[in-house]
Amino acid sequence: MNALALNSVDTASAPRASAMGAYFTETRYELIRMIRNPGVAVPVLAMPLALYALFALVIFGEAINKDPNLGIFFFAAFSIMAVTMQALFGTGVTLALERDMGLLRLKRAQPAPPAAWVVAKIASGLVLAVLAYAPIVIVALTTGKLALDAGQVAAFSVALLVGSIPFCAMGLMVGSLASGTAAPGYALLIYLPGCYMSGMFFPLPKSMYWQTPIWPQFHVEQFAMHLAGITKYQYEPLSMAIATMLGYTVLFAGIAIWRLSRKG
Amino acid sequence: MNTHTESRLHALDAVRGFALLLGVAFHAALSFMPGWPPGIWAMNDNSPSQFLSDAAFVTHIFRMSLFFFIAGYFGRLLYQRLGASAFWANRGKRIALPLVAGWVVLFPLISFIWVTGITKVFGGTLPPMPEMPKTPGAFPLTHLWFLYQLLLIYVAVIAGRSLFARLDPAQKLRNLVDKAVTGSLRAPIAVFTLGLPVASALMSLSFWFYWQGIPTPDQSLIPQIPASVGFGTAFVFGWLVHRSRDALSLITSRWFVHLMLGVIATGWLLHTMHASPMAQPGLTKTLFAMIFGVAIWGWVLGLTGAALRFLSNYSATRRYIADASYWIYLMHLPVVAAMQVWVGHWPLHWGVKYPFILVASFAILFVSYHYLVRPTFIGQLLNGRKHRIFSRKPETPVPSPTSPDPFSPLPANTAGGAVAQLRGITKRYGAVTALNSIDIEVRRGELLAVLGPNGAGKSTAISLWLGLIEPDAGVVTLLGGEPQDIARRRGLGVMMQDVEMPKELRARELVALASSYYDNPLEVDETLRRAGISQFADRAYGKLSGGQKRQAQFAVAICGRPKVLFLDEPTVGLDVQAREAMWKSIRALLADGCSIVLTTHYLEEAEALADRVAVVAKGRVIASGSVDDMRALVSCRQISCESSLTAAEVGSWPGVVDVALEDQKLRITATDAEGVVRRLLASDARLARLEVRQAGLNEAFNELTREAA
Repeated sequence: MNALALNSVDTASAPRASAMGAYFTETRYELIRMIRNPGVAVPVLAMPLALYALFALVIFGEAINKDPNLGIFFFAAFSIMAVTMQALFGTGVTLALERDMGLLRLKRAQPAPPAAWVVAKIASGLVLAVLAYAPIVIVALTTGKLALDAGQVAAFSVALLVGSIPFCAMGLMVGSLASGTAAPGYALLIYLPGCYMSGMFFPLPKSMYWQTPIWPQFHVEQFAMHLAGITKYQYEPLSMAIATMLGYTVLFAGIAIWRLSRKG
Repeated sequence: MNTHTESRLHALDAVRGFALLLGVAFHAALSFMPGWPPGIWAMNDNSPSQFLSDAAFVTHIFRMSLFFFIAGYFGRLLYQRLGASAFWANRGKRIALPLVAGWVVLFPLISFIWVTGITKVFGGTLPPMPEMPKTPGAFPLTHLWFLYQLLLIYVAVIAGRSLFARLDPAQKLRNLVDKAVTGSLRAPIAVFTLGLPVASALMSLSFWFYWQGIPTPDQSLIPQIPASVGFGTAFVFGWLVHRSRDALSLITSRWFVHLMLGVIATGWLLHTMHASPMAQPGLTKTLFAMIFGVAIWGWVLGLTGAALRFLSNYSATRRYIADASYWIYLMHLPVVAAMQVWVGHWPLHWGVKYPFILVASFAILFVSYHYLVRPTFIGQLLNGRKHRIFSRKPETPVPSPTSPDPFSPLPANTAGGAVAQLRGITKRYGAVTALNSIDIEVRRGELLAVLGPNGAGKSTAISLWLGLIEPDAGVVTLLGGEPQDIARRRGLGVMMQDVEMPKELRARELVALASSYYDNPLEVDETLRRAGISQFADRAYGKLSGGQKRQAQFAVAICGRPKVLFLDEPTVGLDVQAREAMWKSIRALLADGCSIVLTTHYLEEAEALADRVAVVAKGRVIASGSVDDMRALVSCRQISCESSLTAAEVGSWPGVVDVALEDQKLRITATDAEGVVRRLLASDARLARLEVRQAGLNEAFNELTREAA
């Protein structure tokens, strides 16, 4: 018993590792990994930009010049897609792969602060989101297809970054449930319907309005429209958008944490 | 009492205390209900709150069911420990006496406060008070109804128990019930099935305000159907959970699912209730009753599981609050109602008044507990023991006497220097029993080699020590406590099988990352040197060879100066040189006082490094001791010779354990080497190159595992 007591005293009285240190180091190496392996991110980075260019510049270029609101609509659609897709795939697919590698089991066995790893994943998801969003906003502003003032663009950008958090959580959920090979498929399966059914890509008929609140994309868009003060596309109060985003984040992250703590 | 059981009881005591204290918060909210006609409660506050109404509804869904569930668990535990007559004596003191004495003291107080409050509500004149209904059995039990209900349930359940014992002497039926309990928790469908009885009782009510949930049986001594069914189910299930060894761990592991089901069901209930507060016969009423059942059990199982998961360690504060909760719940109603009456007409928002009522009431109740109850005979009566008010010594973590040990005690810890132990561990995966009540310990500064064939349970044992999985029964300790505790885990290092590290990172970076988890890690360069990987430390992990990857993982395992190191097949894929280097580092760690658990297929590795060996097969430790002990245990010797005899022929001789033909030579493993040699020489005149030697660990191991199979 003495030895036991000694041991527990040893562990308890040793200087505590700086928890912030572990968070910081974990995030740093997560970003390093991303930079060293850019191949994974490129397609997801390029697609929204290409789609935006196709719709906003080529197909509807003339129409946007006549109705600047249409320009805002397309910008919103593809920038939300860019940001949320990065958040979802950046976290979900890598998580699933790392689970397959047994890395998560190891992390759980090591004295790693459990949240450090989640924070690192979300941070790298956010960085990817910024990388995907930046080219779109540059193209939109330089071609004059975005009739918003600087303050509105800034507010919109902040809203998108915040709005990517529920999708990071969604990614964690997918990554914690699916295997590495199945994760991209499942992620698309739950992501793509929301892009169409939320009315993000094209205006919906009135008969379909009832189902838009189901999709997280809808609330992210509403959040951004409120923050940027774009009244034309506001369909629900700001408080509702915030509450739903928060609710989805808690639900997805909760499922992920529950699953990870059981299976790893 | 073993620590595992104790910790469960700490958690369950905390849940019971929580359910009781929640009742105080619930009653404190009742003066703020919007739309309640004056006279229903002692006070109608001038600042009603929809939020408090919803919150009160939510807590009311489950708080009493939660209490009766825990009461059922402890009920059986107590009955097992005390036997019938002492059980009834105990319940008489703890439940019946407080019911009678409490009622005598509290009823006049409550009546007085009600009359004062209602007079205030009606502007100074007391309206004619409604009389007690003139039905047989009518009696104002007040909030003490729960004690009365509990006594009724005790009588019913213990009568039912004796009936069961008569009808089912072979325990067949009871085993079936146990299986149903664990099966329904595992599925997990218990949340749905357990709610069915109370749902059908609620459906049959002719007048049902959704808000009231299970109607409170506080007006009559005659048992009311919904309450008896609802709380009876909760109590019986608690009783059955105590019968089953696995149910609590299933409740623990599924806490989140259960809680989410409870939350989702509650969300639906709130939504529906806002649309129409009074049940109309029809589909909505039926659905409401069913989902109400799901909500009850989602919360009950979810909260209990969460407490078992997160509150199982001893905390002096929680212990104190849990002890105080019984007294506080008994006494709270007049205090809370008096506060409500007092503040009812203050021109303040409910957001100020409600917290004030809570804080002031709890202050009065805790102070009264601390001075009037804890050190006096009342404390002795309610909680089973007296405490001194100012105790200088910290109290020993003993669960309350209502929480005796539900399982038979495990063998006491006799090892002075054990740093990691598995005691009485059973772990099942579905129908497969991976470990079957095994005991293994690792002593300070030793290397324990765990050997066994594939699927023997070695990795399960390691996973238990690492806190990755929890046992179905038994106690796991790491450095003197639970392995889930992150402070303890800072004392361990681990190298697992089948783990791929991130291929983009360099070995040096992997070590730096792992070092950031520890309090006092080695310098990164020192770790690299000790692991012998300095020369390829700056190469990406993905570009390393298989053996180099294992070395990098070894570096990650040792970077935190571990007190206990778990090495799962560390030298697979290493060349001879690298293996020698790793052995050298392992010996250096041992010399520094580190304890090591090593699983390996290479027996020479165990022979070269191990102080002790534990052989695991089919989920059991079939032998343990020093390497020499192992050899002696099987006392086999190896005979080899060139002979014209066939292996099959020799294999049938007495004393021969195993025969193989290798390179034209017979290799015979024998327990009676002299006898076999005599017979060999007699049977084959041309026998040549005879050799007899002591068997190695390899043969010992083969024989042991064959015996187990």
